[in-house]
Amino acid sequence: MSTFVLEGLRPWVIQRVSAVYIALFLLYLLYSAVTAHSVDFDTWRGWLFQPLNSVSMALFVLAILFHAWIGMRDVVLDYVHNIMLRILVLALIIGTLLGSGLWAFRALLLTVTG
Amino acid sequence: MRARQRPVYLNLFQIRQPITAMVSLAHRVSGVLLFLAIPYAAYLLGLSVTSSEAFTSVIGLLQQPWPKLLGLAVIWGLAHHLFAGIRFLLIDADIGVQKPSAILGAWLVIVAEIIVVAVSGVGFWL
Repeated sequence: MSTFVLEGLRPWVIQRVSAVYIALFLLYLLYSAVTAHSVDFDTWRGWLFQPLNSVSMALFVLAILFHAWIGMRDVVLDYVHNIMLRILVLALIIGTLLGSGLWAFRALLLTVTG
Repeated sequence: MRARQRPVYLNLFQIRQPITAMVSLAHRVSGVLLFLAIPYAAYLLGLSVTSSEAFTSVIGLLQQPWPKLLGLAVIWGLAHHLFAGIRFLLIDADIGVQKPSAILGAWLVIVAEIIVVAVSGVGFWL
C-alpha cells in the first residue's frame, strides 16, 4: 500500500529526481526544436520515431505524472480539510493525470507503429 | 475554561510578504497552473501526431489570440516553476539559505522568468 500512498522520504526523493529529469528533457526538447530544419508534420513524426526520443518522451510523461501527483497531493492536503471533499478532489486529480498520461502514451505508440 | 481573547491576525492578503515568500507561493500557483495545462497538452500532442492536417491545425490553433495568451501563461508557469524549482534544489544543497543569498536567489528567479516571458511574448506577437 505504501507504494501507492507514497509516504515519508519517498515522495520527497521522487519529486526531486523527476524534477531534474523533466528539466533536462525540456532542455533537450528546446534544443531539438531550435535545431530542427523545419516545423512540419514529417519532421515531428521523424523526431518521435527515433528510439531515444520516443523512449525519453515516454519517460518524460511518466515523470510528469509522478511529479504532478505529488505536487497536487501536497497542495490538496494543505488546503482541503474536509475528508470527503479531499477524497473527491484527489480522485479527480488522479483521474485527470491517468487519463492525460494514457492519452499521451497512446499518441506516442501511434508514432512508432505508424 | 473561558477562551482567551487573543489577537489572531492571519489574513495573508494583508500581511506584506517578503520576496522569498512570494516566490514560494508562486511556485505553488504555477504548479497548479501547469497541472491544469496537462490534459490540454496531452490532447494537442495526440492531435499533432495523427495527420499532417491535424498538425497544421494545432499550429494554427496556437496562433489564435486567446490560445496564444494562454500559452504565454503556461510559459510563465513553466519558467517560474523551473527557476524557483532550481532555487529550491540549491537550497536543499545548502546553497542560498542565508537571508541575503535567499533574497538574491528569489530576485534572480523573478528576473529570469521575466526574460523568458518577454522573449516568448515578443516571439509570439512579432
